Amino acid sequence: MAPAKTLTLPGGAARRLLENFFWYVVLCLVASVTVVPFLWVLLTSLKGPHDAIYAVPPQFIPHDPTWANFIRVWNQLPVGYFFLNSILVAVSTVVLNLLFTSLAAYPLAKMKFRGRDVIFYLLLATFIVPPQLTSIPSFVLAVNVFHYYDTLLALIFPSLATVFNIFLLRQAFKTVPNDLIDAAKIDGASELRIWWNIVMPVIRPSLATAAIFTFVNSWNDFFWPSLMLHTRENMTLPVGLVALQGMFASDLRGVAAGVVMTVIPILIFFVALQRQFIRGLSGAVKG
Amino acid sequence: MTRKLSLTPYLFLAPALLVIAVFVLYPIVAVVYYSFTDYNIVTPPEWIGLKNYQQLVQDPIFWQALRHSFTYLLVTPTLIVLCILLAIVVNRKLPGINVFRALYYIPVISGSIAVGIAWRLLLETNGLLNSVLIWLGILQDPIQWLAEPAFTLPIAMLLTTWLGLGYYMMVFLAGLQNIPEELYDAALMDGCNAWQKHWYISLPGLRPQITFVAVISSLAALEVFNEVFILTGGLGGILNSGVTMVFYLWRQAFRLQHAGYASAVAMALLAITLAFSIVNIRYLERGTEAD
Repeated sequence: MAPAKTLTLPGGAARRLLENFFWYVVLCLVASVTVVPFLWVLLTSLKGPHDAIYAVPPQFIPHDPTWANFIRVWNQLPVGYFFLNSILVAVSTVVLNLLFTSLAAYPLAKMKFRGRDVIFYLLLATFIVPPQLTSIPSFVLAVNVFHYYDTLLALIFPSLATVFNIFLLRQAFKTVPNDLIDAAKIDGASELRIWWNIVMPVIRPSLATAAIFTFVNSWNDFFWPSLMLHTRENMTLPVGLVALQGMFASDLRGVAAGVVMTVIPILIFFVALQRQFIRGLSGAVKG
Repeated sequence: MTRKLSLTPYLFLAPALLVIAVFVLYPIVAVVYYSFTDYNIVTPPEWIGLKNYQQLVQDPIFWQALRHSFTYLLVTPTLIVLCILLAIVVNRKLPGINVFRALYYIPVISGSIAVGIAWRLLLETNGLLNSVLIWLGILQDPIQWLAEPAFTLPIAMLLTTWLGLGYYMMVFLAGLQNIPEELYDAALMDGCNAWQKHWYISLPGLRPQITFVAVISSLAALEVFNEVFILTGGLGGILNSGVTMVFYLWRQAFRLQHAGYASAVAMALLAITLAFSIVNIRYLERGTEAD
């Protein structure tokens, strides 16, 4: 890196060590800001009835650690359903959304046809429409037309295609060499075959990016799910978490346990896929 | 260029366009219509002309919400400055730097609801913040952070900033890593110090990312809901101190069953985001095409 180059002077090693130490202090300070709330919640969730939540000075370490808070939450709310519902919605949204949006993005990137620019700008225009704005008619549709109020279908259907992913994948398709497509055409492959067998494998990294973002967005989505899901057994995690917060209003240990239970799995997912997350981001911004 | 009329591209586009037509385009048209009606979702809408809009301009809470949403836009410059600084710091090749990058990303992954509830546990009258401040002698008595109207909006904005730090930091980091090393070498030869180097090389190099973050985070700020919902327990804060445009839309439509009036609020929101985006979108488009 550039900054290190100035320090290759004699005696630079000591200065460099000092400088690195300074940067670690900065890094740790920032990390403490992002991590402390979670740490506090984790410690609170493990506190027994005799551990103080509020004390001066604050008590961090539980003297009387217990799983009881987790068990209490698990027994009183269908947390297992929350998980299953969230997974079901996120996975089906990712699979179907990528299928729909990559189908749509391909001709926008690689074919010439009448109305292409109109469609492109129409999609671009919808990009800036606040999603909550459409919630009122979508609610009416859900209740009166599709009759999927209080079911998971209400979450999956509207997210089958997103403009963001169409643009992201269109950008990826554009980087595929035309020669590759032309060669396949000469061999007599149909457009559908070219799309699936030739072009899709090439843009796999962008598909992974889109998949991860779509998954996390679906997993954390709250506004629309909170309007649609009513029965506890049908709730996804964020909606269930709010229900839990209401139910355990005076039981801070229980609320903390609920937060821990919902955050841990997605964090494991993140750690497992960290490389893709970080590599994918640079692609997402260009697109 | 031969323009052969083939159905293929339209068939490829059809499924996605159908979904977008039903769940985005139709709702926009419907919202325009609802905004001229008296509608409670249960009984059919009844045409009342401009009455909702007349009521809107005379509604002090609407103006309050509008003011709050504009105030909320302060999140955008804050995020840009903080995240560029943070990206410069984590761009150093230090051992274990990936661990720190990941730690900064945790709030992004955890989602606003879980994080918002975590913050509530800190900010409760008998939460960690008060006990630390009293312990350090900064406070005599606990402060009701969540009940004090003057604090509602700033705390929500702080939460939004905090939630976005990791994501936008990664965006800028990716941008920094695309800047050719030679530019920095040349700057050093010209006698730039560390700060000047970032001012003259990094900042101009991050232009596309700055535009991207400005557009995305200001749209997100205008559309904020979750943070306010969680921090105020779905009530919007004492004296509506946390009511933003989207929160007001939600309360009118889904708490008070005033869907027609809420649609007028939605139209105002649309007008603002449109005006706000028209300039920005041009930049975003240019950035997209350039690549």
